[in-house]
Amino acid sequence: MIVIEITLLLGMIIAALGAVTIYTFIGFIPGTDETSVLLPISLALVLTGLHPMIILTFFIASIVTLNLTNTMPTALVGLPGGVMSSPMIEYAIDVKNRGYSANIIQKMAASSALGVIISVPISLLLASLLIPFAENIRVYAPYLFVFGAIFLALTSKHKILSLFAILPLAIVFQSLRHLYWGLGVVPQEVNVTISFFLGITIGPLLVSLFQLLNKQILKTLEVNDKKTITIPSDATKEKTLNPFKLLTKEERKNASIPAVIVNFLFVLSPVGLTILIGESIGRRQKDSFKRSTTTMTSMSAIIQATYMSGIVIPLFALGIPLSPVAIGPGAALFNAPPVFTPDNNIHHLLTRFEFTVAVVLGATIAVVISYILISRYARPITLFILKRIPHEAVLGVFVAFIILLAFMDAGFINIFGVLLVGIVSGTFNKMGVNYGVQFMSLYAAPTLINFLIGVF
Amino acid sequence: MKKHTWIEIWGDVVEAKSLVISIAVITFTTMGAHLLAPQDNRTLGLFFGLAGAVIGFLIIVFLTPPKRNILKEEDHDRD
Repeated sequence: MIVIEITLLLGMIIAALGAVTIYTFIGFIPGTDETSVLLPISLALVLTGLHPMIILTFFIASIVTLNLTNTMPTALVGLPGGVMSSPMIEYAIDVKNRGYSANIIQKMAASSALGVIISVPISLLLASLLIPFAENIRVYAPYLFVFGAIFLALTSKHKILSLFAILPLAIVFQSLRHLYWGLGVVPQEVNVTISFFLGITIGPLLVSLFQLLNKQILKTLEVNDKKTITIPSDATKEKTLNPFKLLTKEERKNASIPAVIVNFLFVLSPVGLTILIGESIGRRQKDSFKRSTTTMTSMSAIIQATYMSGIVIPLFALGIPLSPVAIGPGAALFNAPPVFTPDNNIHHLLTRFEFTVAVVLGATIAVVISYILISRYARPITLFILKRIPHEAVLGVFVAFIILLAFMDAGFINIFGVLLVGIVSGTFNKMGVNYGVQFMSLYAAPTLINFLIGVF
Repeated sequence: MKKHTWIEIWGDVVEAKSLVISIAVITFTTMGAHLLAPQDNRTLGLFFGLAGAVIGFLIIVFLTPPKRNILKEEDHDRD
């Protein structure tokens, strides 16, 4: 019988509660990008050298909470809480205009919980099935990133554009790394990575911000009044908290089946999957109102399942970040030198049993607390955030984060290096090259450049 | 009347001057706190930096009102 020490268990519970508290608050703030808020905090925690089980519990609780709370401002006021909830915006506005927000929130919370309950066992199971092949897969890891970048480009909306973006991006990343090595800013064995991640993530925002310095563009973005936001009253009829009673049989089906399917597609972009599968479920409804509610409830479940499988499967089975979630928000669990490296991270440090306990505990605590919190207090929390938290402060924090991590990775010069990464990635992003392709290109960059030199 | 420049960016409205002040203040508190941390300790450096970001964020939250008009509407059940 394997036992886990009481102090460790206590640490894990505290970590999960901490994650729920922090990410409930962050999740309700509109426009807080998932990677930008998950990566710095999980990185900080990893660097403390806390037990890997505590870190994993914290991270799982973080994503579950964030994915649930992010949908709340989306449904209530039509501002996406994060990147993942942006696909449901048009449906959210439709449902809101019909005065049904209070009810849809409860349904979304219920199907979100369902998504977690389904995806935890399935992703763990799929991961165990992959383990026998792990050794073979790992040998090809550098090539897998190249294939991953090409694959994500080919499955994205703008295929040829995305394919063209891969090599220039790889050159940007590698040229900065070689510049820093050449100047002796960082040691030869250090690959500057984390600040480049964040540069990609915050890229579109950086481009928007710098465009404000162009007077002509600034003129086109000027508005005459504040943002008018209508918030529905709290006319919820349902008093039950039983997630199964809040959903009809059909809604349960529309949430559960996609939540199972996306587990098998963990290598694909979570936003892409949410749009693809969520909308195809919604389209089957003839009535436009039912289409909106169905899309929103099934997307809530899909979002949870894409994140859960995207982190659990690569981490449990392989130890290399082979999914957009693992490469982006979950990066610190795979590679955060000196604590975690690709050859010595949570995958290598935890037994299967320990891994499972950490995932189940983190998911359970987060889903129970945030589900109850949301079902009861979604509206007052949203109102509070909208009245108190200015958008300026959110944008300010993002800029400060990127400067901090750039400076920590490779000193003062890297602030401008990351600025370059951000402008290039952000421009590509606005042209239609999604995050997944860009993150994969970052991972594939060394192999791609060696290949370029070797062939020609 | 004071002249404001309202800008719609990233799905919400900000005021140009407060945006500049906000970025400057939060960057200053973040990097200031980071530089106060003991050298050669990456972990503490990151923690100090994050704490500085929280402090800067709170300062801006207290100083800057959000540029949002919030209207409460009556909710009604469908059917």
